Amino acid sequence: MPDITSVISTLDERQPYIALKQAKKSSELACDNTSIAGSMSQRACVYSGARVALNPVTDAIHLVHGPIGCASYTWDIRGSLSSDKETFRTSFSTDMKELDVVFGGEKKLSKSIEELAKLYNPPVIFVYSTCIVGIIGDDLLAVCKEASEKVGIPVLPVQSEEFKGTKSDGYKAACNALMQLIGTKEPEITSEYRINILGDYNVAGDVWLVKPLFEKMGIQVITSMTGDATADSISKAHGAQLNLVQCSGSMTYLAKWMDKEYGIPFRKVSYFGIEDIAIALKTVAEFFDSEEMKKIAEGIIEQETKRIMPEIETIRNKLRGKTAAIYMGGAAKALTLIKGFRELGMEVVIIGTQTGKRDDYRQISYQVKDGTVIVDDANPLELADLIVKQKADLMVAGVKERFLAYKLGVAFCDFNHDRVIEFEGYDGFLNFARELDSSISSPVWKVYGSKLKPAVDASIRTKNDSGLKPQHKTKPEEMKKERDNMHDVNATALQESVA
Amino acid sequence: MTERNYSTVNPCIMCQPIGSVIAFKGIEDSMVLLHGSQGCSTYMRLHLAHHFQEPVDIGSSSLSEKGAVYGGSENLKKGLKNLILRYNPKVIGVSTTCLAETIGDDIGSIIADFREEEDLADEIMIIPVPTPSYEDSHNSGYIKAVEAIVKQFTIHESGNEIFNNKLNVVLSENISPEDTRELKKILSDTLGSNSFILLPDISETFDAPMTGKLQKIFPGGTTHSDIADMKNSAATIGLGITNNNKAVSYLDKTFEIPSHNLPLPIGLEYTDRLLTELSGIAGTDIHEDYQKERGRLIDAMVDAHKYVYGTKVAIYGDPNNVLGILSLALENGMHPLLVVASSKSPRFAEYAMERVRQVKPDCDVTVLEDVDFDAFNDAVKKAKPEMLIGNSNGKYISKDIGIPLVRIGFPIHDRVGAQRMLAIGYRGAMEMLDRITNTILEAQEEKLAAKWSEPESYVPLGEDSFHSAEA
Repeated sequence: MPDITSVISTLDERQPYIALKQAKKSSELACDNTSIAGSMSQRACVYSGARVALNPVTDAIHLVHGPIGCASYTWDIRGSLSSDKETFRTSFSTDMKELDVVFGGEKKLSKSIEELAKLYNPPVIFVYSTCIVGIIGDDLLAVCKEASEKVGIPVLPVQSEEFKGTKSDGYKAACNALMQLIGTKEPEITSEYRINILGDYNVAGDVWLVKPLFEKMGIQVITSMTGDATADSISKAHGAQLNLVQCSGSMTYLAKWMDKEYGIPFRKVSYFGIEDIAIALKTVAEFFDSEEMKKIAEGIIEQETKRIMPEIETIRNKLRGKTAAIYMGGAAKALTLIKGFRELGMEVVIIGTQTGKRDDYRQISYQVKDGTVIVDDANPLELADLIVKQKADLMVAGVKERFLAYKLGVAFCDFNHDRVIEFEGYDGFLNFARELDSSISSPVWKVYGSKLKPAVDASIRTKNDSGLKPQHKTKPEEMKKERDNMHDVNATALQESVA
Repeated sequence: MTERNYSTVNPCIMCQPIGSVIAFKGIEDSMVLLHGSQGCSTYMRLHLAHHFQEPVDIGSSSLSEKGAVYGGSENLKKGLKNLILRYNPKVIGVSTTCLAETIGDDIGSIIADFREEEDLADEIMIIPVPTPSYEDSHNSGYIKAVEAIVKQFTIHESGNEIFNNKLNVVLSENISPEDTRELKKILSDTLGSNSFILLPDISETFDAPMTGKLQKIFPGGTTHSDIADMKNSAATIGLGITNNNKAVSYLDKTFEIPSHNLPLPIGLEYTDRLLTELSGIAGTDIHEDYQKERGRLIDAMVDAHKYVYGTKVAIYGDPNNVLGILSLALENGMHPLLVVASSKSPRFAEYAMERVRQVKPDCDVTVLEDVDFDAFNDAVKKAKPEMLIGNSNGKYISKDIGIPLVRIGFPIHDRVGAQRMLAIGYRGAMEMLDRITNTILEAQEEKLAAKWSEPESYVPLGEDSFHSAEA
């Protein structure tokens, strides 16, 4: 029986998804279900899961089979960077019209594939299915198979009909497509130690701050999936001896498959925060059991930590004691953020995810202090209530939550698609600290929610001493009273407003 | 890339539901629920939040596989119920998506059932709009929602049919919150603050002042009593001429309200048209403030004319906005080479060409409609304009060929201030002209920079001289 205290008022059906961490009480949070209609979930759909997980493959054509909207809203949506081709930043769609819906879209799709293969000459085409495709029953597999033979490159179906599950099912659809590529080319081996980086999307160039660390340790990074990955590098992924999984929600499924298929074990790591980067480097060195590598790793950790610490210390002094609310897509990022905040002297008071699973929430629960609210699939009104109730000073989340936080007078840090600065690696963590500082320390919060008050004692007295408008309704004494009442709008007004 | 027949590459349009959402957000105390899968509402929230930089809440019936197979009635009802429980809106727009339309849910009867089952109070109005994503575009979604709103509010005999002697002003294409504020000011100054009904009105709902309070539904929007009162008005002006403004025709046909459609008042000529029309309707002279503002605009046009004359531009975006910017470009002596409307409309090409003939008959302009950015890119490379004017999605082309982009329209997701961009009225014309002129000046400066040498006094001091200066 889950022990759920009613933390805030929301729909009855949503109550099991919100819990307060309390000592000696093991509460089991409800999670991993489809969203409740009308609850204003922040989640997207199966297609979106597939799209975010797969889209960073740089030289692929990502063809969306469906009406135009699905392609419009996801055009270059992710801040993933490429060291070479930029094909992935172009939006391709079959733009299904009414006739295609009535008579089926298979013909248009196969023509589309042929046309794009000819025009762009890509190494691979991923074909994403959307809601409609599932309903009208287009045979995506057959079309892709036939097209693949015709155009002579892999044409891989991504079965992400939007209504068949949640975002997590989309991750699986993306992984299933990747599986078709892996093992299709022989890797060039340049080191006796080889890894793949999984679950890193190279947002703002994250991978480029992490990969060199491993290379310094004498390791060959065969591919990073899917940030800055190419069809070629993915097809050689089976040449690695170890998979490092960062975004576990999206890529554990693939890692498990590679373990089974190729006997490549995996480790879950994070490259965010001083402690977690160190753990990641040490984990790899220990896996390869090389004394030399361990030494290099220790060296990197010591040197790099020493390099960034002075500035981290300065910022920590400004942030110490501030409280944070975390609302992330996946649990891996949420978990590593708890540590990151701790390293900056901040305390997490709310933590939630869109796609966390039972085990994730258990781990989160171990990591956070008593009194922290843990929430699954939250909606804006719940988040607003929680921010006020838990007195968060800063929120870290994505674009939809940004303006919510701002309206509540709460500082914000984007840890999602909109990010243009790297947060991984040592410099990334420094960037993160600077980001928090720039939002928390901004003077704008001093005027937040303020109103301009009329002057009680003007510096200029009018000649007849009765003001320019003697008919003014409010008398000076009343004005003063009003002004006093206006002083502190924040806390009480907020509670009233979201109640 | 050229010669595509089957694929769309970098779309210029969004789907119908998002247009309907914008329209619904322009009426008081309203919420929208999209009948479809969860992703539709989340993607549109994201898209709109990026553009308006405000929290945007859009409900979803979160259709699942079961709903898709056996019908979405249960999900829709639950969605409506929860939305009412949490947000307590007075109006709920229910826009369909491709999924709901394809499974063939009868939205009208589901809503009727829901009202009965929940014994819903009459004061909560539910307005369904069929907006499948496989038809038309966001522009048609907007028009359809505005029509549905007007119909639903005026359909019942309220016993309150008293001639109100007001002017209805009905938009057929989205304009920015700042544009909306300007439009209201023009109407208020020329007709009187209580003499017009503007629909939709997103001036406050998509650009809410920071008050220290987070409201579940932002205040503002056209009031319900005003919308219901539209059938008692003296006349209707439809703003936007490229598409059929269905709400305007409906009011005209059903309630015999004389109507006239005018272009969006962008640029001198089209703003003149609105103000002349308003003065005619009100039976007054042109308001002195606007006479002055107009004079200032002409002064600005004279100041800028040599910088902008002959500048080759490509203008793209939603049809009525593009028509307005085209007009502004022409009357300032610019040379529009390419005029591109995101979606197909019955009269865009006709009016665009008419305006070209009026001002610059020898202009070799290409008019395109319903194309994607890839086709636009091809056209740009052929026409070789010196500047792009349009939404953020032109940034790839602008970067690729190294010409500046003046951002206006929807969506603008890579710059701040889209909600405060002004293009309407004389003030809007001045602002646009200044932005365009300054962009040209900046580009010139960059070109010249290579030829410039630093003035003597600015030459950076060498290390030695720095020390000696210190000493």
